[in-house]
Amino acid sequence: MNISGIGIIFTHGRGINKYDEALRQGWRKPSLIELPSVPNKQFPLYPVEEKTITDKGISGKTRRADKFSKMAVLAAMDALQDSDLKIDKKKFSLGIIVASAFGPHVTTFRFLDDILDYGEANVSPTLFSHSVHNAAASYIASVLDSQGPTITCTQFSLSFQQALILSKAWLHEGRCEYVLVGSVDECGTVMEYICSQKLKMAHDGKIKPFTFSARPWAVPGEGSVFFLVSRDKALKKYCQIEEITLGCQAIKEEDIDITILDADGIAGDESQYRNSLPTNAYIAGYAPIFGSMMTGSSFQCAAGALMIKNQIRYACPVQDNPYNVNICKVTKQAKMKKIQCIRYNCLNEKAVIMLQQ
Amino acid sequence: MEERQKKELEQIRKKLKKLLVTNLSLADIKPEDIKDDEILFEEGLGLDSLDAVEIVVLLQRNFGLEVKDMDQGKKIFFSVDTLTQYIYENTKKPSKK
Repeated sequence: MNISGIGIIFTHGRGINKYDEALRQGWRKPSLIELPSVPNKQFPLYPVEEKTITDKGISGKTRRADKFSKMAVLAAMDALQDSDLKIDKKKFSLGIIVASAFGPHVTTFRFLDDILDYGEANVSPTLFSHSVHNAAASYIASVLDSQGPTITCTQFSLSFQQALILSKAWLHEGRCEYVLVGSVDECGTVMEYICSQKLKMAHDGKIKPFTFSARPWAVPGEGSVFFLVSRDKALKKYCQIEEITLGCQAIKEEDIDITILDADGIAGDESQYRNSLPTNAYIAGYAPIFGSMMTGSSFQCAAGALMIKNQIRYACPVQDNPYNVNICKVTKQAKMKKIQCIRYNCLNEKAVIMLQQ
Repeated sequence: MEERQKKELEQIRKKLKKLLVTNLSLADIKPEDIKDDEILFEEGLGLDSLDAVEIVVLLQRNFGLEVKDMDQGKKIFFSVDTLTQYIYENTKKPSKK
């Protein structure tokens, strides 16, 4: 399936051009926050600012939407716009698949807090309707006036890969002509607390994808990425997603120009990534740009798609390299035909997304 | 109208406008932008049926008032003034003899 458009919301702004700019610019310091439950200690975070998700054009339709849904709606809208697909073509033929590891958990916890504070009879039904995983997908369908199939996929750290597999199946069986497939995850107070207690927070603000550590550094992030995909080759603007594999199938590494490691410290032990290193191809990892996220593979894929489209190789934003692997050190024009994006989950299951020119 | 009553009504009005803006996510509107006699629904402030449910919750949480009869609700939810009057009449303490 072919990628025709990409929309993205991340810590440094909105839009695929902004992402390209951030990848060229390299690593930037994260924000430092203090958690109410852990006073006098600061934690690094890559948050999405309120101004990034403010869009007066859709403020009426998304007035009640929370940050989770707003990020997804804007990224999905931008992906559609980036594809130049005409509105009248998409109404019944556009599928929507949203991948998320934790759903709108900030709203879910607000709803639970309200039950504790005001009792079951006095909680807001609107808040409840926004606390479910499918809220973002519903908003996207409503804003785009789409009547095609719409679903939310959640499978912890491989949600995005599952969403891609499903979109491929929908396109293959003709359920729809186009699919807006993407991911969204939010980092609220509860998640920040969990990360601060369970993960090794990178106090220098640097995620180090090539240390392959059993206790890797993390800097939580949040955001959303959407791709408009279709089987229509005429609509291919970036690249094609050739294959999505879950498991340990062998990859013909001689064809691959870059292996992107989605090692960002969020899923624990990263020593397995050393087993996936190709001998010839370059290695990269762009998590230090957007932060540690269970759905970070979607951001890595967007970087891969940009590299194939623009025939460029982005330098790795953080280049700590104790094993001296062949990482991309400089941003420069290069022939880019095939890129693989690898992610391991916490059970050491491997997922590979293969992008091809 | 007594001076004290006027003051109390003004306090309720002020609190109510703030609660409406916050609880109904009226991001582009400031509490002072809402006129006292402005119609809240449809052609007025543009609120809808979901907002009506939120106002019911808002009255329960902040003033301990229940609105169960929606016919009565239509009259009460007409404007900030009608809501204020309803809150005032149903929350005022009995006067000492």
